[in-house]
Amino acid sequence: MDGLLSGIRVIDCTTVNAMPTATYTMADMDAEVIKVETHTRLRTEGLGPFPDSVPGDKFWNRDGGFHRLNRGKLGITLNLKLPQAVQLFKRLAAVSDVVAENNRPGVMDRLGLGYKELRRVNPSLIYLSFSGFGQTGPWRDYQGIGRMFELTSGLSQFTGYPDEGPRRVGGAWFDPPNGWMVVFALLSALHWRDETGEGQWIDYAMYQMAVSTMGDAILDWQTNGGNGRIMGNGHPYMAPHGAYPCQGDDQWIVITVEDDAQWEALCRVMDNPEWTRLPHFSDGLNRWKHQEALNQRMAQWTCLHNPHDLMARLQEAGVPAGAVQNARQVMTDPQMRYRGFFQRVQHSKESGMGTRLYNGQPWKMDKTSTYIRRPSPDLGQDNEHVLGKILGVSEAEIAALYELGALGKEPNPMPKRQAQMTLEETRKRFADEIDRGSMAGYDPDYKKALETE
Amino acid sequence: MVNGALSKFRILDLSDYIGGPFCAKLFGDYGADVIKVEPPGVGDVARTVGPFFKDDPHPEKSLLFFYLNCNKRSVTLNLESSAGRKLLLKLVKGADALIEAFPPGYLDSIGLGYESLEEVNPRLVVTSISPFGQTGPYSRYKGSHLIYEGMGGIMYTSGAYDREPLAHGHPQSYYIGGITAAYATSAALYARNRSGKGQHIDVSLAEVAAAHHTGPTNRFAYTGTIERRAPKHEPGSPKSGPHMEGIVPVKDGYVGATFQRGAATRASLSDYLKLLGADKQADPSFVTPSFQGAIPQHIDDLVLSVLKEWKKLDYFNTVAAGSWVAAMLQTSEDLVNSRQLHHRGFYADVEHPVMGKVRIPGEVYRMPACPYKLRSPAPLLGQHNTEVYCGELGYSSEEIVLLRQQGAI
Repeated sequence: MDGLLSGIRVIDCTTVNAMPTATYTMADMDAEVIKVETHTRLRTEGLGPFPDSVPGDKFWNRDGGFHRLNRGKLGITLNLKLPQAVQLFKRLAAVSDVVAENNRPGVMDRLGLGYKELRRVNPSLIYLSFSGFGQTGPWRDYQGIGRMFELTSGLSQFTGYPDEGPRRVGGAWFDPPNGWMVVFALLSALHWRDETGEGQWIDYAMYQMAVSTMGDAILDWQTNGGNGRIMGNGHPYMAPHGAYPCQGDDQWIVITVEDDAQWEALCRVMDNPEWTRLPHFSDGLNRWKHQEALNQRMAQWTCLHNPHDLMARLQEAGVPAGAVQNARQVMTDPQMRYRGFFQRVQHSKESGMGTRLYNGQPWKMDKTSTYIRRPSPDLGQDNEHVLGKILGVSEAEIAALYELGALGKEPNPMPKRQAQMTLEETRKRFADEIDRGSMAGYDPDYKKALETE
Repeated sequence: MVNGALSKFRILDLSDYIGGPFCAKLFGDYGADVIKVEPPGVGDVARTVGPFFKDDPHPEKSLLFFYLNCNKRSVTLNLESSAGRKLLLKLVKGADALIEAFPPGYLDSIGLGYESLEEVNPRLVVTSISPFGQTGPYSRYKGSHLIYEGMGGIMYTSGAYDREPLAHGHPQSYYIGGITAAYATSAALYARNRSGKGQHIDVSLAEVAAAHHTGPTNRFAYTGTIERRAPKHEPGSPKSGPHMEGIVPVKDGYVGATFQRGAATRASLSDYLKLLGADKQADPSFVTPSFQGAIPQHIDDLVLSVLKEWKKLDYFNTVAAGSWVAAMLQTSEDLVNSRQLHHRGFYADVEHPVMGKVRIPGEVYRMPACPYKLRSPAPLLGQHNTEVYCGELGYSSEEIVLLRQQGAI
């Protein structure tokens, strides 16, 4: 069997994080994704990291954040301020299955590339417009970005240390799941097209996906008048349930006990210390009520152990436990390695980037393989292929389009060269950051650890 | 008859708690016929999980279960009995996908592994959701929300420098696992409609967390640096707690304060202060920190003191209308009353025999040709046994009584 989406062509007119996540996922499934950029504005996906922290001359082609989010795609540049470029976009839409865009509501219409316009050239086209709050309503023009939806969705009602107040957790929390939901949305439209032959326009709001994870909280307020409360690492009815310190600097284990059987198994791993038989730890309800005292006792035991060893012992005894892993540990995790979760991408010689690892998809299928099919494109890398091979534009016409500024392979205007540090200066900066505590560590042999050298 | 985008599919939902049910719910919301297969007597474990209607922990009053299982039918079926397993195979014959979240190996051990299901229905897509995946050294390990966020790298960079790493206080890792399972299942169905062959999908919730938290692993793979929680003396870092770029208090709650404009640019600090009505405090000598740079303590203190005079909705509207990135911490109450959500017709009103009329989050994305529809409230345990077993599989009512007496349903 081929890839899941072989034969589907997607025009990817998107930036930042959530939407590029949707389209790289489809590229991993073998859709032909054509990323449409412009050379007249700098790429916004990432602000580094750069290979060994060296931006290099063409830093816009060496950005790890960009490469992570755009692997598997073809890349073209179209300066949509020019009517010639707009025409090319339309011609491409006429031979594509999906157009996905995340410009501000109204921008595509102003360019003459809104759904109504493109439907005329391709009635079976599926067109998805993605924005923070949707294409209608009083907040339609408000900017929405992933990390802000942690607050606006209500998730922050629950998250933080109970004695301090709300905090953010994770990166831009609602970016990746919105990207994944977009894939589901596009697939539902593809299924519908299979039935009816009709394309359609999908009006997608990040806000709505984020709030769709809050159903229980929304019902709680309506029926009990309850708003969310900050939980720390605690659980509404389980204890022990938290992160406990382990041997070494900033090492932690999470342990989450669901029932009496797991509690007894935990006690056996601890060698049944006397305190576990105290009356206020006698059953689930008591343990939950006295969780603060319980957590203190637990910490006195966990801090004598290495988190990974302890995880293995607890899991073998049937107790849910896991090491709190840093980025290096995640990337060298034996389970992730066994399943090949991180995938190697060999970048071109001229890029000087070597081999880099990227996250794969968190699922496998027994008959179809899903993988990174090519590195992400340099700026305008596939102009000739896409315009020439797919649209049949002649070489002379393509040359004229470059001349006109409708196409480009170099940013225009040329951005300032980024500050370049020597390896020695970089290492000194890292050492300072480790000193200040803003970085946990630096592994100069990271390529060996990742087997990319 | 086609009326929803996914109406042509029948999904068997054998999963419980949040991840699998959320996945199956998305199919139901866009038209699929979802049959929830629950163990007799107790049903889905989510029926025992709060919050509950009027705080009464009755199995038909779990609000979590209610939300996650609207647009589904429920049958009871005991997989531990041979009559129950036969029934399941009959259901499998007419199904397009089966979602399950049993411990890896369980279905094999009772003769219902993927190969057996494939034999009965080669077009079936089987989606298995598990803590660490079906293969590998940790495949038998147990999971939980904290374990996914811990093992996947999310916790290590979240929380305060000198305190324990922090996870989300609401079990987000299961929801994002459900979305992942949903698109993977839909993609496998799309491929199946071309090849004629179903397949087995193996979703790992720990990997979903790692696929989410890619910033730090990307940086390690490029530079060898290992990120952590930021120390207190890094004001303005999103990781350093109640500061700008974190979550800051205002008069009536909290807002997300930033002078970010656009996806990756910081606008002028003095413009931001002017917007907040603090022109006088805006010292022309202030330098706007770059997007990567931390915000100096005196600026942080200044912005925080100015914000104390604001109300969250006023702040949100003012800042967002000026096309800055804005956020306010909304409570459940705020969400229920959100003008934007009402204008968008986001909520679906459900009439429930016990709860009366309530609103649930409805349309995630708008597709006017074949929109989201609320067709039914969450089912009572086994509510559709007769409808499905007699009406669709052709059992007589005597047989149903017998199956019930034998504990098969």
